[in-house]
Amino acid sequence: MLRIEVTTQLLRLRTPLALAFLAAVPVLSALSTAPHAGHRDGAQGGLYGASPFSALNLTMACLDFMANLLMPVVIAMLACAIGSSDRDWGILRYLYIAPVSRSRLLVGKLGALLIVAVATTLCVVAAGLIAGLAWFGWHPFHIIGAPVLSTGDAVGRVMAACGYITLCLLSIAAIAFALALLLPRGAEAVGASIAFVIAANILNGQSALHFIAVLLPVHYWQDWTRLFAAKEPAHLGTGILAQVAAIAVATAVAILILRRRDPAA
Amino acid sequence: MEPPTTGTPVTPMIRASELSKRYGRRQAVRELSFTVETGQVCALLGPNGAGKTSTIRMLVGLSAPDAGTASILGEPVGLGASELSRVGVLIDGPAFVPHMTGMANLKLLWSATRRSWPPPELDDALELAGLGAAIDRRVKGYSMGMKMRLMLAQALMRAPQVLLLDEPANGLDPAEVRALRDRLAAFARGGAAVLVSSHQLAEVQQLATHAVVMNNGALVTAGPLTDLLGGADSYRIEVDDNDRAIAVLRAIPGVATVTAQGDGLEVTAPDLQSRDLVSALVTAGVGVTSVNQASRSLEEAFLTMTEGGSEHAAH
Repeated sequence: MLRIEVTTQLLRLRTPLALAFLAAVPVLSALSTAPHAGHRDGAQGGLYGASPFSALNLTMACLDFMANLLMPVVIAMLACAIGSSDRDWGILRYLYIAPVSRSRLLVGKLGALLIVAVATTLCVVAAGLIAGLAWFGWHPFHIIGAPVLSTGDAVGRVMAACGYITLCLLSIAAIAFALALLLPRGAEAVGASIAFVIAANILNGQSALHFIAVLLPVHYWQDWTRLFAAKEPAHLGTGILAQVAAIAVATAVAILILRRRDPAA
Repeated sequence: MEPPTTGTPVTPMIRASELSKRYGRRQAVRELSFTVETGQVCALLGPNGAGKTSTIRMLVGLSAPDAGTASILGEPVGLGASELSRVGVLIDGPAFVPHMTGMANLKLLWSATRRSWPPPELDDALELAGLGAAIDRRVKGYSMGMKMRLMLAQALMRAPQVLLLDEPANGLDPAEVRALRDRLAAFARGGAAVLVSSHQLAEVQQLATHAVVMNNGALVTAGPLTDLLGGADSYRIEVDDNDRAIAVLRAIPGVATVTAQGDGLEVTAPDLQSRDLVSALVTAGVGVTSVNQASRSLEEAFLTMTEGGSEHAAH
């Protein structure tokens, strides 16, 4: 079933288009900061300010820019497609008749979600590295206001950040997937998922509603940037727990919907 | 339609036993029971909303019955049951991944069975589909008829022992319908059981050996098609003297009814052969021009059984 899910989604025009859109952002970012190659980008601080220093710097700056909205929106769209396409096309009934059991179907779809989450992160990282290498070259990772990181240390932190981002993407993918199973049409699930991402981001910016924001996985999506902070120590434990909890709840809901719902209803 | 009462018991290929299903406030199927044996082509008939598709959904596990059981090849059927690997199904119309080619769709649905490509009856199924080079084009460009033929190929390519087809002739032209009819008959002759739901009664009459008639979710009647049409015991006789022939025929023990129909007579005689009737007429000096079995068309029989709604339904 995993092969079926991957085949049907990858051969769909909108999947490579969505990934190409994500890959275009680092390229455009490199183009816009190319005049500052090897120097700080104006007066900006943090990862953005350091983006022209090296390929890795550009890559992490792009992830910082995209990980809260663009990447979640794209992966929500892809996850909804995984959850609802076979039903929208009508082939779900023919898969059940093939026969495919509910558990096999679910495992295939969850596997496809994982692949899409990894592919989304890799797509941005690869585009960032290629564009960064082309415009800025491979130089030591630079954190403004801190000593230059060794290559090993930088690669370790980048990999940890990528893993964390992938986990965050997987949490919104799982939520979108559950919505795709719950709602009658895939388009409705895409709309609901994107609305959730936007609303959660807005909520996250309201200090008065902090007590609600901390319950949402979106609240922890930027935690990985502390891996590259000059002073604050990184602690991702709470964020990892929040994402895992969101994935577990969404998966449980998906299982419940799939088991309870009559496919012919 | 029922299993034999003597000799080795034969497990029905398809069995619906007291099936009931309700969607919200609507009773879609009510205590429906019938069987389909090997070698039979059974037509599932009924007006729109009679419960035919709901019945097929339960028979393939897509819908769980509220009461009763559905079994295929002797085993109870549930969603994704392993017995379904020996069943070819067309239900709720054709469905494919639109951006993939016809052949890629066949491979996709076949790969879900976890068996290696190609399927045992692929060539014959593709011949029936008759898509030619279009099989390598994207399905979203197919006409309704092409999609239907591809779906039928999908159902037939697995060499199924049981076929359940919901309105398989929709969108097919007359030549394609004929080819399908021949293929289904060949399947049945090969020992498969075929259950076909259709509104094309003339086609069904040429294909089916048995029929199940439903109305308002309930069984109206089930049995061999010849019984349903009344052809086994009715004759149309043309004679040179109708009045005298009527008198002679009514005097024969075993003749149930004799009615004048146009130029001839319609005679119902369940326990008599046509030669008995001819012999009696000739002996009485009535000239017999022709004798034929007088069966109703399936359309006439169907309308008689289903008109008037639930009052005809058997409970």
